[in-house]
Amino acid sequence: MTNSHSRLTKFRFGTVVSAVGFALAAAWGASAPAQAADGRYAFVIRDFYIAQYNSMFLDECPSGISMANDEIWWRAMSKEDRAKKTDNGLITVLDRNPVAMRRGPKGEDVCLNPEVVTDPPLKIIEGKYSYGANLDGTTDGRATPKTCAHHKFTGLDGTPGVDNQLYRLVGCTYGWRKGGLIELNANEMRGTSGLGMALIEISNVQDPRNDDDVTVTFYRSVDQFAMDGQGQPLPFTSYRVEADEKGKPSYGDTLKGKIKNGVLTTERGDVSIPFYGNYNFMHPVIKDFGLQLTIAEDGASAKGMITGYYNVEEFTYYVGGMAGHASAADNCPSLWAMSKKLADGYPDPKTGECSMISSAFDIQAYAAYAVLPKDQKLAKTAKK
Amino acid sequence: MSLLRTLRVTVNASALAMLALTGCGPTEPKVASAPPDMRRLTDEQYHNIVTDLFGPDLEVAVRSDPLTRTDGLLAVGARTAQISPSGFEHYYAMGKAIAAQVASPAHRADLIPCTPKSETAADDACATQFFTHTGRLLYRRPLTDSELKAMVSAAHEMAEASKDFYRGISLGLGDMMVTPKFLFIVDETQPSKDGKDIELTPYAKASRLSFLLWNTTPSDELLDVAAKGEFNTSSGIEKHVERMMASPRLHTGVRAFFADFFALDKFETLEKDSIIYKAYTTVVGKDAEEQILRTVADHVLTRNLDYRDIFTTKRTFMTGGLARLYHVRVERPDGAWVPYEFSDEDGRAGILTQVGFNAMASHPGRSSPTLRGKAIREAMLCQHVPDPPGDVDFTSFEDPNSPNKTARQRLAAHAVQPACAGCHKITDPIGLALENFDGVGQARMSENGEKIDATGDLDGIAYSDALGLGKAMRNHPATPTCVVRRLWAYATGRPADNSTTAYINYLDQRFAKDGYRLPELLKQIATSDAFYAVAKPAAATAMLQTEGGRGSSTTSQEAVR
Repeated sequence: MTNSHSRLTKFRFGTVVSAVGFALAAAWGASAPAQAADGRYAFVIRDFYIAQYNSMFLDECPSGISMANDEIWWRAMSKEDRAKKTDNGLITVLDRNPVAMRRGPKGEDVCLNPEVVTDPPLKIIEGKYSYGANLDGTTDGRATPKTCAHHKFTGLDGTPGVDNQLYRLVGCTYGWRKGGLIELNANEMRGTSGLGMALIEISNVQDPRNDDDVTVTFYRSVDQFAMDGQGQPLPFTSYRVEADEKGKPSYGDTLKGKIKNGVLTTERGDVSIPFYGNYNFMHPVIKDFGLQLTIAEDGASAKGMITGYYNVEEFTYYVGGMAGHASAADNCPSLWAMSKKLADGYPDPKTGECSMISSAFDIQAYAAYAVLPKDQKLAKTAKK
Repeated sequence: MSLLRTLRVTVNASALAMLALTGCGPTEPKVASAPPDMRRLTDEQYHNIVTDLFGPDLEVAVRSDPLTRTDGLLAVGARTAQISPSGFEHYYAMGKAIAAQVASPAHRADLIPCTPKSETAADDACATQFFTHTGRLLYRRPLTDSELKAMVSAAHEMAEASKDFYRGISLGLGDMMVTPKFLFIVDETQPSKDGKDIELTPYAKASRLSFLLWNTTPSDELLDVAAKGEFNTSSGIEKHVERMMASPRLHTGVRAFFADFFALDKFETLEKDSIIYKAYTTVVGKDAEEQILRTVADHVLTRNLDYRDIFTTKRTFMTGGLARLYHVRVERPDGAWVPYEFSDEDGRAGILTQVGFNAMASHPGRSSPTLRGKAIREAMLCQHVPDPPGDVDFTSFEDPNSPNKTARQRLAAHAVQPACAGCHKITDPIGLALENFDGVGQARMSENGEKIDATGDLDGIAYSDALGLGKAMRNHPATPTCVVRRLWAYATGRPADNSTTAYINYLDQRFAKDGYRLPELLKQIATSDAFYAVAKPAAATAMLQTEGGRGSSTTSQEAVR
């Protein structure tokens, strides 16, 4: 399959050549549909994972794996209480969800109220390598007016000064590691719910493989994924952009960017994107947001990484609001406490405490068409 | 006949034709009348009739024995269609199911025009009222006294036996729906005015007209018109043709014609490899078929444009599912239809570049220039392409390790076989122009990494791509002639043959004069004497007299009576 993106290049090439009377133009008068004419390309984000370098033997977690909520609850119980809960061990599969989180002094849910208990400190990443980007511009992680002092990583490709404190925070917790229930569940829910549909539109594109000046805008769609028989999104689906009653699109933050050999790289700026997962709907603003997106040769899909500073409160709020902590193998109070220590961006002017945490997210996206309110107006006009 | 006389006759014929075209002479050449005929209802006609009679709420899942495409049309194949034992079982079950729904408590008040004195006993008056009305619409003529009496009597017996009036109605209605009188459209005849020949009864004329224009049974109104004898005059026919053509229901009739003409029934069994073509689903396949019909109906009816431009029009309709295959933005990503117009720069224009045609004339996992060329020749140009010999060696074509990366290269290697070369010469240059569309009509520039060469020619008209093919088709002299021939055959169930040459030529010229407007052609046929002409099947009668056998339509017709 050849997609319209790559076809566009060839078609335009053909057009140019035909202008000088060369026969190639006849090759494909070709499907350079409306999208090509207006230079707009879009991708819908399917998967959104914290970018983590997880080695097979947990080399990056020499202190081990964090103790989970569930385990702490179980260990805290007396032998008699355990016997009571399990009918003297006859109940082998215990439904812990309603009770395991309620281990606050007054029976509070410790994920909704992480400050009410003091759990053992969260085990965190101590390894050297990480995915991500150098967000603060330093190689040693010293404090700057915009950041708090923190440890740096080296990129997997040897790039020094990589910031990814979010990975440091969650990387030694089973539930958060690659393949862990939390993010798998979040992505699955987003895939089937039609919520948190994030669109990336690249406009002002002259050449979808190489263009020095493009505009990248982020939207939320109100439409669900269209899936193939294997449960994967079908590329080149149209998605309507959410807009208010006056037709102004929701979200809509814009960055400049460039495309080189099919790799889109944006400049940095603050971007709000929709997010849904684990029964939480959020619209985080990622500060100093940067996107690098590698567009597949056939244009049907793209993989990339979002880097920037993520709001710590928002992240811990998300964690606290999740369901199913008993089986997620995570720890809310420890994570909450550690997140404040690891936050490395945007210090509070009064307290000096950083409010945001450097982060990197792997994304998988599929070619799409963003249907803006103006597109719907155009279509209505065309009908007349 | 001397040469001079032949010449004079030719000149006179031409002059007459010219006069006809200018509206001053005879309107149409005589056509040799054919014996009366009978055609089995298509599934769509069955469905339309039930919906017209009983409303859209009833569940109608009719799937009869498949019709055989004959001379390019299922409508012609319907003349020789039989009903197999299993086909009859299906009709029987369907008829009973529909009858049960009509008589059910949920529908009886709306669909049965009277209330019985008692629901637990027979009521002949009410049953008579129901069968008189419904039977006329199902049989497309008033029931004879004996038919009505038999129906009421059967309903009476059942009602008494079951102590349920509505079971009686259900039984009678179910029986009516499995009789040949309902399942076959019969050319019922009466002696002609001069008594020397036969002619269609007014009700049979109403049927011809209704199935041609609306693809359904004649309405009450049309049957009333027939009863009043208004179909006995040309002006009467013309008045009601115009009335029917002004109805939105004309779309149903025209769509049915094009579905048959373009052989869209192939979509019913069209399979695609879901691993290769992930975006092609059954739903999208239905949309693709519908897109062709919407495009054509919009073009030739709603906009009343030159028929030939269906091969070049940029206008179509789109759904979200189709838009994925076209790789275009659509304002409604769901299943809703929205008008769509391809841009001037787009490589698509006309129905040959649509997903539907290219998917239909392809293999499950790859495109086929040969199938596409054959489909165009046969369905759209009314030309015959011989079937391939049984012992074709496809090895060179299907070898996955072949150095020939494109279909053009593979076909070139394959067509060196003398037995294959002849046909491939007439199909492949057409189909290769569509190679920029894969097996489900998605655009592509290359195949197996090799750039696609979409050049070709259609009977001497060279082109460089699918757009050029569309223009060549638009300007091909066989294009309008083909639709004329097919519409005539569709209307009458008789393929155009030597006996209709003059008439078809006449229609061709009228069609051209009318700017290739299909409604004009349709009206021309529907108001023509030829459309209603029947004659005694002398040969068949002779055969009957000598052999006492069956085999003529008159025999069948009389059997139905």
